Amino acid sequence: MTATYLDPNVLEPLALLPAAEADRHFDYCLEPYRPRRPWSGKLRAENLLWHSLLVARQRATWRALLEAVQRHVGKDLTVWGVKWDGERLWWELYFYDPRKESARATIASLTEALAPWLRLGPRVPETVPYMMFSFDLSAAASASGEVTALNLYLTGEQAHAGRSYRVTDAGAELENTYRFMEPKRNIDEVLPLIEASVFVDYSARERLKDVLFPVLFACKKVCISKKRDRDAIYFSGIAVDQLLWFLRRFAYPVPLVSFVERHQEQFEHLFFDVGIDYRTDASGRIVYPKTSYYGTL
Amino acid sequence: MHSYKGRFEPTRFEDLTVTVDFHCHSACRFCIVQEGMNRFKGVPFETFQRAVDDNQKELRYRRVTFTGGEVTLEARLFDYIRHARESGTFEHLRLQTNGRLLADMSFARRLVDAGIDEFFVSLHGHDAETQDYISQRPGSFDQAMRGMENLVSLGVCLMTNTVLTTLNQPHLAQIVETVRRFSPTRMEFWNYLPMEDHADERGLISPLAELGPSLRAALDRAEQLGIETAVKYVPRCVLGSHARAQDNTQPDVVIAEVFYDLYPKFSCLYEAKCEYAETCLGLHHAYIEKLGWEPELLVPYPRSTPWAEPEYGPWVGSDQPGRGSAPATDHPDWARLVAGVAERHGAQLAEVVLQRRACLFRFEQGDGGVDLVVTARSEAGPALARSRSFNVHYRNARGSDTDGLRPLVTDAVAAIVERDQGEMLLDQRKGLVGDQAVRTRPKRSGPPG
Repeated sequence: MTATYLDPNVLEPLALLPAAEADRHFDYCLEPYRPRRPWSGKLRAENLLWHSLLVARQRATWRALLEAVQRHVGKDLTVWGVKWDGERLWWELYFYDPRKESARATIASLTEALAPWLRLGPRVPETVPYMMFSFDLSAAASASGEVTALNLYLTGEQAHAGRSYRVTDAGAELENTYRFMEPKRNIDEVLPLIEASVFVDYSARERLKDVLFPVLFACKKVCISKKRDRDAIYFSGIAVDQLLWFLRRFAYPVPLVSFVERHQEQFEHLFFDVGIDYRTDASGRIVYPKTSYYGTL
Repeated sequence: MHSYKGRFEPTRFEDLTVTVDFHCHSACRFCIVQEGMNRFKGVPFETFQRAVDDNQKELRYRRVTFTGGEVTLEARLFDYIRHARESGTFEHLRLQTNGRLLADMSFARRLVDAGIDEFFVSLHGHDAETQDYISQRPGSFDQAMRGMENLVSLGVCLMTNTVLTTLNQPHLAQIVETVRRFSPTRMEFWNYLPMEDHADERGLISPLAELGPSLRAALDRAEQLGIETAVKYVPRCVLGSHARAQDNTQPDVVIAEVFYDLYPKFSCLYEAKCEYAETCLGLHHAYIEKLGWEPELLVPYPRSTPWAEPEYGPWVGSDQPGRGSAPATDHPDWARLVAGVAERHGAQLAEVVLQRRACLFRFEQGDGGVDLVVTARSEAGPALARSRSFNVHYRNARGSDTDGLRPLVTDAVAAIVERDQGEMLLDQRKGLVGDQAVRTRPKRSGPPG
């Protein structure tokens, strides 16, 4: 882990962005939600993104690009994800346009709009029926000024399901499948889908607790994902105290956790979403190669 | 001894528990407030007086329970008892105790003479070896047994309480045998709740696969002996034919508020499928994190009504004693705060949800509605408005015309501000917070140089 991640005092001041009356509130699928509290005097979710960039000393690198994204797509309409593998932070931006209504959330449009800061490499015809696309803001992208892979998300064969493809200049390949459900109401579907796995052996039934975390079970939706070399579960619509538990549980950098602790009350109107990739290692122990949390910009 | 059956249902809104202080002369291995013992403060007498005075106006509580720590150690206990008795507002005065000091007949008699008519005595082992091991105090079993003998001879109501851990799980039916000679009115079995040792380093959480059969055997035996039972924090479906013994209700408690920050959270995989989702807590998170969700052991009872995510936690529909099936708006003192408002706006007051820290008024109007919430007044936090007692907020504006709810909210807020004369109390006002709640520890001067 980079030493700076352990420093609880981030020296560069961060001008916190207050919530505004006109704020709209969306989850990581860009589905609108009713905030948990009136948001007067609270903070916007994007503060978490800016602060994570600050912690990783990446704010200056990506600031102009992110501001351009916000101007181009519109406030609150871009989903960001902060990713953590236990060693480093990186970010992903998600652009939704499921009904092809917005000319600004398309790959073509964003390729053009972001050109001064970042080249979106792969060519994707707009005739591809993607409902959403995403790309990483990584150290490699920062160094080369280019995004070499886009992720396209298409609706699945059934309701509340989807799949993603990784598109590079070399072509497209299937990456992940997703299925969204209410954890409690749909428990009879959630459990078999979690347990249909080649990466985790659920014959020891207590293992389920290492995937379906009780603290996060009280959420609005779970998403069960099957990936190429791991499984993943996403908990959507959690409160800030659950987000804090998640950040501590997966040992996020100290300043990042303490930032949320300090401003807990100012984020209490929001719902958050988190994702957890998992598989078993050679010893049969469950490991979490990547986790993430989400908000809107 | 006459039957007390029926007096224990539902305890919420009828019972007030007062933590007189946090000291104890035992050191039970499962103590849920081990760290808090000697750290949390008890309830000052003046605070207790205010709670009793409050009850004289509202006649809300029928019973007051004195607890600790070990409450019999407290020098001012008799002042508390006397004040409660002289108020004339309580039908019963109860003492929750480990029973050790009751081995002294004169002390036991003094408590009874002072007005205590119900004794809730902890017994965690079936014999001296087990109990003394758990309490870490040799002789504590014999003392408690002598104490209970004294209570029987004094003719008062005796109940027992057993905390279920790995330490006594194999012996639960034997505990029933041990106390049967006292003919207790009721035996309660409370599953251990870790409030500090979340990782269960002490190894006290008993797996349901072992606890279930042992507990059912104890409940069987108690039933054969005609002893009423109650079980807390054990999933209902584990209790078999004794499912009705489950009672997760709690009295109102005057206590250091931080205590509730430590209180465990519960979940059950089958919450949405189970008829008893609203009253059965499921498993506490420390249990799940250690032993798993128990997907095979837990079996939901088929629901007869649609399930909805409980937005505001467990609650009951009425604060009127004996009217558990009363309408959801049957909190007359609280509903009075907004009486007439809904009608003026073609709306309906659908629910009044009274909780420890908040009272929520749910209005329905057209295809939508809005919730108005009052919490204890605080100048620190933001609020839509402040009445004498409360901060007032709204939340969950819903429906196709949320702007149209504005006059209703404005009117309701104005009504609360006008009608709240500063006499209404949420529990939080009676609890202890900040410096009130925690003892100041003497500063150490450091090692001698």
